[in-house]
Amino acid sequence: MLAVQVLINALVLGCLYACIAIGFSLVWGVLNVINLIHGSFIVLGAYLAWGAYQWAGISPWYALVVAAPVFFVLGYLLQRLLLNRVITAPVLVTLTLTFGLDLILNNAMIYYFKADYRKLTLNPPTGSISLFDVVVPVDRLIATASALALTGLLYLLLRRSKVGRAIVAVRLDRDAAVLMGVDVKSIYAIAFGLGAALAGCAGVLMALIFPISPLTSSAYLGKAFVVCVLGGLGSVSGALAGGLLLALVEGIGSTLIGPAHATTLSFVLLIVFLVVRPQGLLGRKGFE
Amino acid sequence: MVQSRLARYARISGSLLLAMAGLAGSASLASAEDVIRFGAPLPITGPLAPEAVKQQMGYNLWAEEANKAGGINVGGKKYKVEIVYADYQSNTPRSVQTTEQMITQDNINFMFGPFGSGAAKAASTISEKYKMPTIAASASSSQVYDQGYKYLFGTFTPNDTLTTPLTQIIKAKAPEVKKVAILARNDLFPLAIAQEMEKSAKANGIEVTYFEKYAINTLDHSATLSQIKSLAPQWIFITGYTNDLLLIRKQMVDQQMKAAVVTMIAGPAYQDFIEAAGQSAENISSASWWHPAEQYDGKDIFGKTSNFVKLFKAKYNSDPDYGQASAAVSGALFQLAIEKAGSLDRDKVRDALASMDVMTFWGPVKFGTNGQINSLEPPVFQIQNQKPVVLFPDAIKQGEFKLGVN
Repeated sequence: MLAVQVLINALVLGCLYACIAIGFSLVWGVLNVINLIHGSFIVLGAYLAWGAYQWAGISPWYALVVAAPVFFVLGYLLQRLLLNRVITAPVLVTLTLTFGLDLILNNAMIYYFKADYRKLTLNPPTGSISLFDVVVPVDRLIATASALALTGLLYLLLRRSKVGRAIVAVRLDRDAAVLMGVDVKSIYAIAFGLGAALAGCAGVLMALIFPISPLTSSAYLGKAFVVCVLGGLGSVSGALAGGLLLALVEGIGSTLIGPAHATTLSFVLLIVFLVVRPQGLLGRKGFE
Repeated sequence: MVQSRLARYARISGSLLLAMAGLAGSASLASAEDVIRFGAPLPITGPLAPEAVKQQMGYNLWAEEANKAGGINVGGKKYKVEIVYADYQSNTPRSVQTTEQMITQDNINFMFGPFGSGAAKAASTISEKYKMPTIAASASSSQVYDQGYKYLFGTFTPNDTLTTPLTQIIKAKAPEVKKVAILARNDLFPLAIAQEMEKSAKANGIEVTYFEKYAINTLDHSATLSQIKSLAPQWIFITGYTNDLLLIRKQMVDQQMKAAVVTMIAGPAYQDFIEAAGQSAENISSASWWHPAEQYDGKDIFGKTSNFVKLFKAKYNSDPDYGQASAAVSGALFQLAIEKAGSLDRDKVRDALASMDVMTFWGPVKFGTNGQINSLEPPVFQIQNQKPVVLFPDAIKQGEFKLGVN
């Protein structure tokens, strides 16, 4: 029974990891920007959910609807006003810029919210479902379903909409896309905005599950990074595959060789992937 | 063009900064005559920042009270207290550099150790080299004090003074507890206290069915907790800091884990843990070095424990925890030692600390030959109705131990 429980835990956690990583993967894949502010966006999203519930009694599900446009605008403006100016510079420049922005946002959150840990506790609590001794927490299930829905929406957007096709076109070949009349700067801003919106929504969902503090942003960023390398960049299904693989390795590793080594195991896997399959599980060659 | 302009700005702002630093330097030199400077290297930024804030609250309260009373009396002359802070960014090697810089360049008279056992141990080598009396306000592990150093003192008793009374209470009140599962954050203090717990359990005939460490920054404990649940221990003992313990407690509830006894160290000693955990904190037991319910009549500047709590509440609008109290008592102890020595001579103050035997709001203070306090009886407590209730020592007991954590 322990094996089934560990497997279920890993499946649910895998979807949460995918949710954390998908916006990061989109920005990295399309803009070739390693967006170090991603973790802080997630934390800001979590504060939004916490604040809305604490002060106005607004359920996190409604906060999700607010978070998406708010973060989209934030991301869009950030890209339009700042990142687009250095987007053609070597990757180190954008890395440094997002690093700086992350320091500002993170420290601003420490200043306003303090570094104390908070918890969004729903009243009444959502509880857990148990079936033959296997227990699944309802909030994680809902977060998983929402994560899958968000992932599905993004997939549809990229596949079916005109903007989505333009994003994919820019990702495949920037110069050709320019020649075809795509406004690359605006597509970059939309892609970054989408990445930020996904981070904000992920934050709202994570607020139900993890303690909230500006100090947790690096943990989210670290997971997003590993998930992207494992799953492959820029693709929706890649983030899901990467998240599931990471959660499975951590869960099984933690049960078999102890929780202290689970992280080590996931980073060993990361190195193996970088050497053997740098494009990740589902990534295409040329986008590693 | 842009680059050259940037370079010019950098030069101008750089020279402005230098000028400002110079002004600040001369200002502090002008008043250096009647001021005692205490160096406090702290992790003001980085993951340990919340702990640094707590320490600062304690130091600042003491400095404020001491200065309100006119300052420290050194052989008939009053000296004001000044605390000099430096940020080592939660980076232990940098705490060593910061300590050396404070001693050699910042003209400090005495030192407080950096946060936690690891950094305090690393930095103690420097303060020992310069014969700088240092009080570590947050280092409990015996490895900090077994180096044969003469200038290092600590206000926390060894870790086993927390786990032994706790085990004895549980053995007496819950004889059905036969198995304990221990999960520890892989970090100096949380791991050391878990190892002491393992020893205490074995010494009291309780079987340790599970002993594992989890990595710092672990985001999910579900696999570990499922495994512990499958072993059905009556006692679950978990160490870590507020973030870890909140997450683990939430996941225990998620997995419908129940046990007769759940102990967590050090989260429940902090108000933010109790508030954030809410109902799920009920009946969780813990132990720490001090508790605001204690009733000592101190000879230090704060006097009675209740007076310290009152002053703290008035300044910060919250109850003090053991970390804040320890920082405040460290300052108060320096004050007592300096006044007794009647001098700012480092060796005389060091000797006054070593021979100290005094009652304070923190409890009786007497340092062992290794510099670690050996006179305290740390309290065991349990969260009942969202409030910490002291179970031990008997003199300050507030309630009875309750079984069952759901």
